[in-house]
Amino acid sequence: MEIPYEVTPRRDTGLYNAKLGVWLFLASEVMLFGGLFSGYVFLRLGVQEGVDNPWPWGYNVHGPYVWAGFINTLVLIFSSVGVVFAWVALKERNWKAYQTWMYIVVACAVAFMCIKTIEYKSKLTEHHGIKFQDNSVIEGKILDQTDKIRFEGKEVSMSLQSALPAFLKDIDGDFPTFTVKEGPEGTEGTELNSYSDLKSWYLKQRREASSSLAEERKRYRSELDAGNANPTPVSVVTSATLTAGEPFKLHGNPRKIVGHSDSALNYKDGSKVEGMLIDDTVKFEIHQVDMQLVLPQKQKDSMVWEVVDDDSVKKQFFEAQAKMYKEMRDYYEPRGEMIPEKMLRGHKLNLQKVHMGGHHDEEHHAEANVHKSESKPSAEGAAEEAHDDHGHGEHAYIEVPREKIKFMGNHGPRYGNYYAIYFTMTALHGLHVIGGALVLLFFTVFGKKLYLKNPEHLANRVEVGGLFWHFVDLIWIFLFPIFYLF
Amino acid sequence: MAESTHDWSKHKRSYMIVCGALFVGTVLTLALAKIHAFDVGPPGPTAGDYVMGLSVAVAKSSLVALIFMHLNHEKSLIYKILLFTFLFFVGLMVLTIFADLDPIVEQYDTLQTTHGALTEKQ
Repeated sequence: MEIPYEVTPRRDTGLYNAKLGVWLFLASEVMLFGGLFSGYVFLRLGVQEGVDNPWPWGYNVHGPYVWAGFINTLVLIFSSVGVVFAWVALKERNWKAYQTWMYIVVACAVAFMCIKTIEYKSKLTEHHGIKFQDNSVIEGKILDQTDKIRFEGKEVSMSLQSALPAFLKDIDGDFPTFTVKEGPEGTEGTELNSYSDLKSWYLKQRREASSSLAEERKRYRSELDAGNANPTPVSVVTSATLTAGEPFKLHGNPRKIVGHSDSALNYKDGSKVEGMLIDDTVKFEIHQVDMQLVLPQKQKDSMVWEVVDDDSVKKQFFEAQAKMYKEMRDYYEPRGEMIPEKMLRGHKLNLQKVHMGGHHDEEHHAEANVHKSESKPSAEGAAEEAHDDHGHGEHAYIEVPREKIKFMGNHGPRYGNYYAIYFTMTALHGLHVIGGALVLLFFTVFGKKLYLKNPEHLANRVEVGGLFWHFVDLIWIFLFPIFYLF
Repeated sequence: MAESTHDWSKHKRSYMIVCGALFVGTVLTLALAKIHAFDVGPPGPTAGDYVMGLSVAVAKSSLVALIFMHLNHEKSLIYKILLFTFLFFVGLMVLTIFADLDPIVEQYDTLQTTHGALTEKQ
């Protein structure tokens, strides 16, 4: 069947149908992104100074990856030019030039997504922050996955009524042989040699516990119905305790753990591992100190300096702050104005880059003692390893005691409102890039037949695909400054 | 095949010029954020810098819409659709004014002490 008005315009609209269709689609896209931009403005303006996490300065968040955003902007602009040139090539009936330009556009899309992936990866794996109990923050990198609690397990207990116990995924290294110490009748002494053994045993016990519980409840109700005022209470074993043949290593994920002590890890799902705490301090390579949520008069006694017991870092922070303060005073004083409160509490004064192990220059190098905080005494091996390379140049780190930490995490969407909206909008934009590139690639690879039949029809298709592509470029033109620069 | 006789070189030239303008605009946006000399108002990023950066973005996106998306010579129906789109978009942005009507208030009783502390510290 011939679809009308694919090439020639309709008399009433003056447009071929696909063009009208794509503009209506783009109108709905404006609403979609408009809603998100509106959300962005809400979040940004809604920050309560001194209470909420401050809205970060994009340039500071992205650091060297500002260049990634910058290059991506140029890449998308160039790809937009590529699409119009491909369209013109079709109008000139030059298939070769059309195909070349379209492949360039698709290559630009691939380059854009690769750069985006590198940038995302760095945020998720290379950049972390720790907020202390007094709301001071250090930015840098958590080393060797030490956000996890290192523990040596000997015995585990679990409910038989929930999902598979969470500690199973935290077991590091060889899976130990577990023996059932206490559990449903007839299971004591059962040996479970592997993860799959334990899994199938657990699922079977859960099923049986569930049906026993249903039967017991039925029995209880029937006894009540029979006029027995004091029926025998429901009694079903719904938990189990397993002992490990040999101690096993665990890297406890703090997000799944509700609390821990020197001898136990308690998981949120009710499972518990007993044994010995190896180390729970967090090794952290510090790059920045952020005091935006600490009043200036309290900054010198902040918790940061209890953990980073390195005078040179403290000195660097306050020297940089004093320098910035002078710049601000020099701007406002001649105008007879006071420095606004927002500035005094903002990132220019209160977020400073620092370098572990003293200043870069020779003069201060002698005082390059990177310190170790008052970490909990840790088990032999791990502790020795932890202290081995303290203060050694670029790998210098501090040890942060967990009880001082209010929050820690990577620069993923959970790190704050900025990161949540940044990932939402850039990821949605990324999906548009992928979708648009696939459509354009389709026109390039499979367009020849249509080109030979009716080149104008293909030109119209490319124009419509191109309109979407320009829209994707247009959105990025706004995303770049609002997330990367200001 | 009437289109094939049309002279497209003028179009190509204008596309190249717009491409150059967009590149320059991108560099300018970066410069506004990075170079001190471009700071609007007090040192560091402020609302003034933000407005400047967004103005450049608006100019760049206008070029994309007008030249690449051919909105400089489009049929009236498209403009009608876009008018409604624009009005809805403005509506979404106006919603953000409600943030100011929020009953939550900020405690600014630290103003004087903040000034005192910083002056004393320096």
